[in-house]
Amino acid sequence: MTGKALEVRSLTKKIKNKVIVDHVSFEVEKGEIFGLLGPNGAGKTTIIRMIVSLIGRTEGSVHVNGHNLDGEFKESMSEIGAIVENPEFYKYLSGYKNLLHYANMARQKITKERIEEVVRLVGLEKAVHQKVRTYSLGMRQRLGVAQALLHNPSILILDEPTNGLDPQGIREFRDYLRSLTKEGISVIVSSHLLSEMQLMCDRFAIIEHGKLIHVSSIDTLKEADRAAQNVVFEVSDSDQAIHLLMEHKLGAEAVKSGNGQFTVSVDKETIAAVNQLLVTNQIKVYGIQLVTATLEDRFLELTGKGRKEEEASVLSS
Amino acid sequence: MFYLVKNEMMKLFGKKANWIYILILIIAVAIGGMVQQKLGGEPSQNWREKTQAEVTQLQKDLEAAPDEEKEWIAQEIQKKQQYLDENIDPNAASNWHFMNGTVIGMGTLVTLFAVIVASASVSSEFADGTIKQLLIRPHQRWVILLSKYLSVLIYSLMLLAVLIASGYIVGTLLFGSGDFNARFVEITLEGEKIAVVGTQFLLKVLYYIPSLLVVLTIAFMLSTLFKSQALAVGVGIFVLFLSSTLGGIMILLTEKYTWTKFLIFPHLDLTVYALQENILQDVTLPVSLATLAVYYIVFLLITFAFFQKRDISI
Ligand SMILES: Nc1ncnc2c1ncn2[C@@H]1O[C@H](COP(=O)(O)OP(=O)(O)OP(=O)(O)O)[C@@H](O)[C@H]1O
Ligand SMILES: [Mg+2]
Repeated sequence: MTGKALEVRSLTKKIKNKVIVDHVSFEVEKGEIFGLLGPNGAGKTTIIRMIVSLIGRTEGSVHVNGHNLDGEFKESMSEIGAIVENPEFYKYLSGYKNLLHYANMARQKITKERIEEVVRLVGLEKAVHQKVRTYSLGMRQRLGVAQALLHNPSILILDEPTNGLDPQGIREFRDYLRSLTKEGISVIVSSHLLSEMQLMCDRFAIIEHGKLIHVSSIDTLKEADRAAQNVVFEVSDSDQAIHLLMEHKLGAEAVKSGNGQFTVSVDKETIAAVNQLLVTNQIKVYGIQLVTATLEDRFLELTGKGRKEEEASVLSS
Repeated sequence: MFYLVKNEMMKLFGKKANWIYILILIIAVAIGGMVQQKLGGEPSQNWREKTQAEVTQLQKDLEAAPDEEKEWIAQEIQKKQQYLDENIDPNAASNWHFMNGTVIGMGTLVTLFAVIVASASVSSEFADGTIKQLLIRPHQRWVILLSKYLSVLIYSLMLLAVLIASGYIVGTLLFGSGDFNARFVEITLEGEKIAVVGTQFLLKVLYYIPSLLVVLTIAFMLSTLFKSQALAVGVGIFVLFLSSTLGGIMILLTEKYTWTKFLIFPHLDLTVYALQENILQDVTLPVSLATLAVYYIVFLLITFAFFQKRDISI
C-alpha cells in the first residue's frame, strides 16, 4: 500500500508499431489536482483511456489507491470517476435516468438523495428531467461531471472538462474541484488550454509525442517568474525616468516602450522602490503593470515551439 | 447482474422504436386475422353434406376427364373422403386454427425485430459513444456484455409472448374459442397429415425458440463486431434473409455435397419438424439441435472473446 492516489509506471501504447504513448510514469498525491498538458494528438486521451482500462496497455502498470488495476480491477475502477473526451449519454433518456443508470452500476448503493445532491452540485436541477437530446454542450459536460462524481470516487479523471463550459461555469467548476480536493479527492485534468490549467492545477505534466517531457509544480513556476518580472510603467516623462533608474541602479535595462511608457525587469520590492524614486523626483506615475510571463510562454519554451512563435510575432509587428 | 439487466431493459424501452415493434406485431396479427376471416371458407353445420356432394361431383368428373387430369382428381377425392372418414371440417376455424397457421407464420416478424434489436444492442453504444462511459464501471466487460445479451433475450421472448397473446385474443374475437384438442389436416411437403391443432401449435412454438435464439445470437455477435449500428443491423437482416432463402437451396445441395448439411442454414427453421420427422434422410431433430448448439457456442465464444479484448477508442 502506498499513500498515492494514482501511480502510473512506464505506461506504453503501441498501435501497429506506432508508439503513441512512450513509457509515461507519474504519481498523483491524495487531494492534488494534477494536469496533463499537451498539444493536440500528444497522447493525453490515450493515457487516460489506459488508466480507465478502455484500451489495453502494451506495457506498464497502474495502481489506484494502492489497488493494482490488473489484479483488483473492480476495486480500482470503483475508486475512479471519469470523463473521456466528450461525455456521451443516452440521448433518448432524461439526464436523471442517465444518472440512475450509472448509479445502478456502482458497487455500493447510491441513494436518490445522492443523485439529487450531485445534480444540484453541477447546477442541472432545472433540466435534469428533460431528455439529454435537448441539452447544450455545456449541460452535457455538467452531466458528465455528475456521472463521474456519483459514486464518491477518490480519484476524478477529467479529459478536457471545461470544453463547452461558459466562463461562469468554468469558475464554478474550478472552485468545485478545489473543494473536492479538501475532502481528499484527487483530480486529473487534461487540457491544451494552458491558461486554464494555470488556474486549476497544483502540478502538471507536459506530454508531447507520447512522451512525458516535464513534470513541474505550477506554484513554483509562478514564484520563479515573480523573482524578476517585466513591469510596464506609464509616466509623465519616460526619458527622464529611465535616466533616473540608471543613475540609482534600480532594475536592469529599462527600455522605452511607446508613448510615455517604459519596461523594466524588477522584483516585487523594487517595483515599490522605483515608484517612490519617480514620485520624489516629480515624475507622475499613471500606471504600473505586471507583464506576467504566462505558463503559455513557459510551455512553448519547453516544447520548443517558442522560437517559431516569437519569429512570427516579430514579423507581424 | 440484476441491476445491469435492469439498466439494459430501461435503455431498450427508452427507445421509441422498440415500443413500435411491439405495436406493429399486434397490428399485423389483427390484420392477419381479418384477412383470414375474409378469405377463409365459411365453416358451416352441414359441411358433411357439402363435402359428400363435392366427392360425388368429382367422381363424375373423373370418368369424363382426360387422362392427365385423372390422377389429380383422384387425389382430391381421396382427400375429401379422408375429411369425411376422419370427421374433420376442412374449413373449420377457431382461435387455435388461427394461431397454428397465421400466428406461427408471423414468427418471422418476431425474428426480424429481434435481429434489429440484437444487432443494435452493442453497436448503438459504439455509435453514440456511450460505450466508453459504460465500460469504466467496476464490472468485468463480459458481465456487462452478458447483461446486454440477456436483455435482448428477454425482449425477444417478450415479442414472442406478445405475438402469442395477441394471436389468442384476436383469434378468439374473430373466430371464437375453439377446442384445443380439435383434429385438423396439416398440409406438409410430404402431403397431408392429421394432427391435433393445439398441440401442433405448441410444438411449433417450441421448435421456433431455438432458431430464434441462434439467429439473435448471430445478430448480437455482429453487433459487437461492428462499430456502426447501421452496418450491424443491415448485415443482421441480410443474414436473416439469406438463411430463410438458403435453407431450402442447401437442402437440395446436400444431395451433391454432403458437407452442406453441416452448415447452419438447413437447421435454422426447426418448425418443419412439427410437420415431418426429418429434413433429409439422416438429418433428424437431434442432429439439427446438436448442430445448432455447436454453432451457438462458437458464436457466443467469438462474441465474448472479441469484446473482452477490444480497444475502445472512440
Ligand atoms: N486507435 C488508434 N489508432 C491509431 N492511432 C491512434 C489511435 N488512437 C489514437 N491514435 C493516435 O495517437 C495520438 C494521440 O492521440 P490522443 O487522442 O491521445 O491525443 P490527445 O493528446 O488527447 O489530443 P487532443 O488534445 O486533440 O485531445 C494521435 O496522434 C492519434 O492519431
Ligand atoms: Mg484528447
